[in-house]
Amino acid sequence: MTLSRFLRRTVFWLAAAALALWSLGPVYWIVVSSISTRIELYTVPYKHWIPQSPTLQNYIDVFTTGPKYRAGGFLPSATLLYSGVRNSVIEALLAAALLSLLASLAGYAFARLNFRGRSFLFFMMLLLVPLPIWVSLIALFQLMSVLGLIDTKLGLVLLFVAYGAPLYVWLMQTYIRATPRDIEEAALIDGASRFRALRTVVLPVALPGLVSVFLVAFLTVWNAFLIPLIFTNSENAQSLTVVLSLFIGQYEVAWEAMSAAAVVTMIPPVVMALFFQRYVVRGLALGAVQ
Amino acid sequence: MRIRSEERTAYLAILPVGLLLVFFVYYPAISTFLLGLTDANPRVQGLEGSAHFIGLRNYVQTLGSGEFWASVWRTVLIVLMVLPLELVIGLAAAMILNEQFRGRAVLRTIAIVPWMLPPLVNGFMWSWILNGDYGALNGLLYQLHLITGYHHWLASPSAQLFWVAVAQVWTRFPFAMVVLLAALQSIPQDVVEAARVDGARPAQVFRSVTFPLLLPAFTVAMAVEFIVTFQIFDVIWSLTAGGAAGQVINPFTKAVMILNYEVVFRNLDLGLGSAVAYLILVLSMGVGYVFVRMLYERGA
Repeated sequence: MTLSRFLRRTVFWLAAAALALWSLGPVYWIVVSSISTRIELYTVPYKHWIPQSPTLQNYIDVFTTGPKYRAGGFLPSATLLYSGVRNSVIEALLAAALLSLLASLAGYAFARLNFRGRSFLFFMMLLLVPLPIWVSLIALFQLMSVLGLIDTKLGLVLLFVAYGAPLYVWLMQTYIRATPRDIEEAALIDGASRFRALRTVVLPVALPGLVSVFLVAFLTVWNAFLIPLIFTNSENAQSLTVVLSLFIGQYEVAWEAMSAAAVVTMIPPVVMALFFQRYVVRGLALGAVQ
Repeated sequence: MRIRSEERTAYLAILPVGLLLVFFVYYPAISTFLLGLTDANPRVQGLEGSAHFIGLRNYVQTLGSGEFWASVWRTVLIVLMVLPLELVIGLAAAMILNEQFRGRAVLRTIAIVPWMLPPLVNGFMWSWILNGDYGALNGLLYQLHLITGYHHWLASPSAQLFWVAVAQVWTRFPFAMVVLLAALQSIPQDVVEAARVDGARPAQVFRSVTFPLLLPAFTVAMAVEFIVTFQIFDVIWSLTAGGAAGQVINPFTKAVMILNYEVVFRNLDLGLGSAVAYLILVLSMGVGYVFVRMLYERGA
């Protein structure tokens, strides 16, 4: 009995360790690569799992110097990286803010207001949740060209908002539905308008939902690759993921530099996992199909 | 009177989203479909030239094309490798996290990280791990004396598909884990206890009590992951596609979405590309429809 219990515990801890190793191993390796010297990293057979002389030189190189690792355009890697970080931050923040605002408004309407065509409009919106952007891509590209929105941050933000909206409106709608009606009605009786009631009474209660929408939207835009790949072509709007893909490009890959750039890309997602897990997981799970 | 002002408020509140959806989603989706009924190709007709209506010929051509079916087959192979692996790992992870132990929250956080990262970065990460000259997998296996020399893991076409599947599993397993963990935690503990008291062994409890109760969550996870993996793009792009900076796209891992990208943005065959996009949609729509119904019934 005690033996079988001992065995069970051992198996359990082995399994737990395997799970940790499998999840973290690849990330660990990238981090190690990014702080290793070239000589250590390219030792064959490799044995520096813990770098003997850790260095930040790769980060400094990739953010300050020249054309060593570039493939896109004829710009130095530093220029590309800076513009990538800047574009990704701006696009993700703007799209997340806009989505939070619009999803609150529409979510409130669907959750609390009666209007003709409500179920029909709701259904027409939900129909788009699992719709891949692929099926509208070609005409969308032409439309964006006509509007002069190709390779602009504004264009990308509009696309992320339009294609994210169905999911986030649905999400906000469930959060708002869960807030108690009576305080809102008290505010309405006191003469507040619907929008005022939404802002001062409903949203504060539904705040966790709003935070969740904002963070999931931010993460989704930050991680996106296909949309920016297609709708951008210069450092005007290219996101960090696109910049990274350019580095993989031609000729030799300088893995230690690439790793440093990749680690930078991984910072916001890892922060989300560490500190905002409870806000992000549900929204991300529901948005999985997109 | 009251109702009318409420209605006005409602229409005002949904107007921005409505306009965006009509203008940027519905309209291009419909015109892409219509484009699929033409021979539009700027490379043939020039930028100013006009396309001709050719009915369903693009669909006929695609359905009769060996390349299309080869890419569907590749995609199905990836899905067939990903789904079982992902669900098994996801279930195992969920069962570990369903126990009470010290460090549970930490392990949960660690296990969620792969899912949070950009899939593009995950593909890059695995291509570096699998690198034949300096990669970590070679280093590790060599140090453990499991191999005697460095391997080029991505050398053969079937190996490439396999490692694409592994990278995809790594990216997506936390989703299955989260869904299954939620389901596990909603199983009433007394049911499991009762089975134990009746003398059932752990394996029996799992097979005849836990697993049947998990089945709905399993179905959901499978449906979602079918769609996600069928449309795999980013991971392949950075792991094996090699299409960056206008280079030729590696044919051996050309899944349906990569094929579609090539048809549209490399060959500029807009009409054909539109038809391919809609065929991909139809192929994964059955499962997607189920998902919508589920959301709709829970939301409305």
